[in-house]
Order: sequence, then C-alpha cells, then structure tokens
Amino acid sequence: MTIDTEPLKSVSDIERTTLMTLLPGRIATMLGGRRWRSLAPLAVLIVLCVLIAVANPNFIEVRNLVRLANSAAVPLTLAMGLTFIILMGSIDLSVEGTLSVAAMVVVLLAANDSNGNDFGWWAVLAAVAAGTVMGLISGLVQTMLRIPSFMATLGMWFIGLGLSVYMLGGSAIRLNDASIRDLALHRFLGLPLAVWVALGAFALAAVIQYHTRLGRHILAIGGHEDVTKLSGVNVTRVRIAAFALAGFFFGIAGVLAAAQLGQSHAVIGDGRLFAAVTAVVVGGTALTGGEGGVVNTAVGVLIVTVLANGMILLGISPYIQQTVQGLMIIAAVALSLDRVRLKIVK
Amino acid sequence: MKDSKTVTFSGSVSRRTLMVGAAAGAATLAMPKVLRAADKPTLVTSIRSLSNPYHAVWKTGAEAYAKWAGLEHVTLVSEGNSEKGIADIKAMLAKTNGNMVLNSDPNDTPDARPIVEACAKAGAYVVTQWNKPADLHPKDFNPNYVSHIEFDGISSGKTIAEILFKTIGGKGGIVALGGLISTTAAIERKKGLDAALAANPDIKLLDFQVANWKSTEAFDLMGNLLTRFGDDIKGIWAANDDMGSGALEALRAENLAGKVPIVGVDGIKTAVDAVRTGEFACTVTSDPFWQGGMGLAIGYNAKTGKFDPTKEPPEHREFYGKAVLISHDNVEEYYKTNVESKPEIDWNDLWGRVTGAIRA
Repeated sequence: MTIDTEPLKSVSDIERTTLMTLLPGRIATMLGGRRWRSLAPLAVLIVLCVLIAVANPNFIEVRNLVRLANSAAVPLTLAMGLTFIILMGSIDLSVEGTLSVAAMVVVLLAANDSNGNDFGWWAVLAAVAAGTVMGLISGLVQTMLRIPSFMATLGMWFIGLGLSVYMLGGSAIRLNDASIRDLALHRFLGLPLAVWVALGAFALAAVIQYHTRLGRHILAIGGHEDVTKLSGVNVTRVRIAAFALAGFFFGIAGVLAAAQLGQSHAVIGDGRLFAAVTAVVVGGTALTGGEGGVVNTAVGVLIVTVLANGMILLGISPYIQQTVQGLMIIAAVALSLDRVRLKIVK
Repeated sequence: MKDSKTVTFSGSVSRRTLMVGAAAGAATLAMPKVLRAADKPTLVTSIRSLSNPYHAVWKTGAEAYAKWAGLEHVTLVSEGNSEKGIADIKAMLAKTNGNMVLNSDPNDTPDARPIVEACAKAGAYVVTQWNKPADLHPKDFNPNYVSHIEFDGISSGKTIAEILFKTIGGKGGIVALGGLISTTAAIERKKGLDAALAANPDIKLLDFQVANWKSTEAFDLMGNLLTRFGDDIKGIWAANDDMGSGALEALRAENLAGKVPIVGVDGIKTAVDAVRTGEFACTVTSDPFWQGGMGLAIGYNAKTGKFDPTKEPPEHREFYGKAVLISHDNVEEYYKTNVESKPEIDWNDLWGRVTGAIRA
C-alpha cells in the first residue's frame, strides 16, 4: 500500500490539493530507498541492544529482559491507541487524562482503602469502558463541533485529570483487589500478566490495522483525507471510531498502571503522553499521518524502554540522561523518515 | 448542498455553546458576592494543586482551622502556573479589599516577592512557606509579612538515611532516588544523605538516580537498578514517599517487598501503611495539616492584634518547623491520631514547633 505523506492537514474541506502534488513523492518511492527506511528503527533497536549488552552483559539476563518487558507494557498499550490517531494525521493529547480516569475508575470500584466497593473484574470492564467513552467524546467533539484534535483532546486531558482529582479527593488510593493486582504480580510462562495483556493489545491493534476496513480507512485518511472522502469513505465515522479505539487502549493501559503501582492518584499518567508520542514517532510513524503503523510503534516503544534501561545499566549520570535521550530521539527520527519527500517542515 | 448544511449546523452549535459559556461565566461572577458579605477577614490558602496527597492534606488542615476559628475560607490552586497563582491572589485581594489573611506555598521561589508586595500594598497579612528568595525578609514588610516557614531538608534527608543505615545493620549498598534536580528540597535532602554517608563509611551508595518526585518513574527506575546491582541493594533512600512507594511496587513485582527496607519523606498514607507492614523503615513529615492550619492561624492572630509581628524575635519571623518522624516505634500511635481520625492541633500554640531561625 503506497500512501503519501501530505504535511498540510486540515479538518475542513477548504483545503484542496490536487493529485499533481502527490506525484514527486510517488516517483521517489519507485526509485527505492523506501524499504530500507522502514527497517531503520529496527536497526537502531538492534544496534542499541548490542552496544548495551557489550558494555554490561547483565542486559541480556533473563531477569532483565522480563523487567524490560514489564516496563514496556503500559507504554506499549498506550502507544497502540495513539498510533491510530497519529496515522490519521491527528494527535491525541488526552492520553494522561484518559489513563488517569481509567485508573481512578478501576481503583474506586474494586476493593480499595477508601470506600466499600468490591466489584472485582467488573471494575476493570468499567475502567476500559470509561476510557472508550472518553475517546468517543474526543472524536465527537472533534468531528461534530469541528474543533481540531489538538484542542479537543487537550480539553479532554484536563477534563479527565479534573475528574480524577475530584473523585480521588487529591490523595492516592490503594488497590486491594488481589486478582487485579495479579496483573502485575502473577506470572505466566515467566512473564507478568501485564506483559501478556500488552501483547494482546498489540495483536489486536495489528489485526485492526492490517485486516479490517477501519484500519485501512484510518491509514487512507492520514494519506489524503480529501481523496478518501471522495472515494466514499465516511470520514467522520472513521474519525470517531478511531478516537474511541484509542480511548479503549488508554483504558487498558490505565488498568495496567493501577495494577502495577497498586494505587491510583490523579497524576498517575504524568509524563506518559510525551513517552507515548516519542515511541510512536521514533518507531517511524509520521506525525503528518498516513505512514507507519503499530509494528513500527512496537519497535519505537522498545527503543525508548531499552534506552532508559541501558542508561541505568551503563551508569550514565542522571544529570545528562535527558540529553542523551534527546539526541537518540533526533537520531532515530532522522534515520527512519525520508526527509527529502517532505515538502514542508514545520 | 451537503457542505452548506454542515456549515449551518456548526454555526448553530457554536452559538449554543456561546450561550452555555456565557451562563457559566455569569454564575462564576455571581459567586464572589457571597464572599464580600463577610466583615471578618477571609482566610485564603494558595497552593500548587489538589492532585497530590500533600496539598490535599494541607487544605484539610486549613479548613479545620477555619472551622475552629469560625471564618470564611477560600482555596486557590495555581496548578503549577506561577502567573495564575499570583493573579488569583491579586483578584482575591481586590475582592476582599485587603481584608484577608493569606497562607501561601508559592509555586516557585521568585513568586514570593510579588505575592508579598501585593498583600502589603492591600493591607492583607501573609505567611509564606517553603519558597522565597533569600533576600526577601518578613521584617522588610512590617507588619503585613508575618512569617516564613520552612522545614530543614538537610536534617530530614540525614535522619531517614541514618535510620535506613541502622535498619540494614550499618553496612552494605544502598541506592538513592532523588527529586526534580533543580528544586531546593531535592538539593537539601541529598545534602543530608551525603552527610550521613560521610559519617558511615561502611555504607556504599551504589547509585543516585532522579525520579522527579514520581512513583511511576521510580517504578521503572527501580527495576533497572535491580538489574544493575541485584542483591547488592540492601536498602533504598527516596527523597519523597511517592518515589519510595513506586520503588516498593517494583520490589513487590520481584518478591522483594519487605526484604529491602525503604525510607522516604512526606508521610503520605501509602508510606505510613508501609511503615506499619515493615516495608518502609521510616518516613518523616512536615505535617501539611499543621502547615495548612497554622500558617493561617499565625497570620490571623497578627491581623487581629493578638501579637505584634514587629515585636517578635527573628526566629518567629523566619523559622524551620519541627518535622515528625514516623518509624516502627510510633507508627501505630500516629496512625490512630492522624490517619484514622483528624489530628487534634492546639491552634493557639503558634510557636510550639519552631526549631530555630532559617540558615542564611
């Protein structure tokens, strides 16, 4: 499937680009180089792993690989949802808000140290449903009120955060339901259940992207929304569905985060948005939409996680870790996207 | 045809949205009138956010004092935005005509000056806590700038480190989790840890890492540190309880909870619970309940003339408060009086927790 990067994205119909502008990109693709580019993030990941393993053999210990998988679980689930949004050329900033709402719902409905509820796994269902509804609202606000996704989801971020602060009374509430905590503490085939859930989320996202109409429509919208619309795709419906889908993944991530930390507080999502966007972009999905996918994102999540793990193993001073992270992000993105094909860089 | 319909539709919706927005705005404007009715001074608390347990307890303390004193109380939240914090305070000064007492935890160090200047100009009385520039002094704004309260981070960091060292038997390796690098509390607490390490040469600091005060970051960081040092880690020093609890959950995922003791600062409920189960060796708290209430009490007593700030000794104008240590020995009692019930504080004892003037 060849879909071209079109940096000028707009929700409105005012903007109309002719097919002619697509041609240079298509020619560049035919001349090759594309295939190699798409493998760049994977190459970065492998090089990174080899370098760290040489410097500190502890890295390839089974125990460390399990820890790596464990710390990748929440970001992977989040990034799966975010990938669909970024593929459309939109952005979902509500990651932290939706995650904290889901974590709040699961903790308040399951056994906890604040109220008498004990709905067990119904709490998990409710949390995922809450995440989905948040995403659905983002989608409706964006399409019905015609507000750009950046602003619509920024609003949902704060609404979600405010809701969690209010419901949790500003404090941290403990999750006492043993079966939900088992998501983080119980292991199956050596891996914590949270990792299996994240792998499940990845599989689901891959199926949606590569084997369903919704997945293909999302990619098409990111490639060229006007053309997609003229081809008879109900763009509005696809957008709403994509945001709801993203909310669904954020909801799952919220449950996993609450299970891992054994508690929920409103700021449980702090820093997750940036990590998720970084993972998606480092994996090679273009912020302009239409290029990349969930497999890229999985690689991106691993790069970010391995990097964080590696910096500790190599004993890099905390004072310069962020600098190293920044350099790696720029390097990875520079390698993975064909800059020449971009007509405009904003 | 379809397009023109969409345009019409979007127009009507935004008009409706406008109406709803206007109604909400009008409702907000109507609220301050209730506040204006009071002749007695309004108590105002200005804090960073309500989404962290520390400031949530601070607000409870402030409300407890307001109820005890029978006064109107308003909480302003800056959400980490200095401009908003200062603007909200100025708006309150205008609303109350300066007839107010402010207890502020300024969002950032430089914020204290505009806050104090605005209060002095309007004739309101102000107490600041934690953050103020070194060259800003209460005595320069007599009588309106009543006091500034801090807690000695060096002593907190040192106290918990010493208890941690004692718990692991005086020797072995530890890892330390620091707060946001640039903050005073993070720097001071680390200084305390360094001082304790210097006095205990058998303790080895395996690594010092920064988790930015957050449990989520500490959780991931701790997993990585376990890979690097494994069983060499005998204890964990955390610059706050939230990071300590994140580290605790990372230990729990590896069946190490309770085997590697953790110490922290703040005294949040999760940490107090962990001290009870033995997973935390100790935590130390500045007692936000006391900070929230007593800051207002000191300001209110100055305003009503119960004492004259200009005649108070320097250690009542800029002082370190007494931190409360919660360890295995007193955790049950602390739990009963502070967690299961609201703490009882003698609000007339204004200077009971003064431990000395702040170091220049």
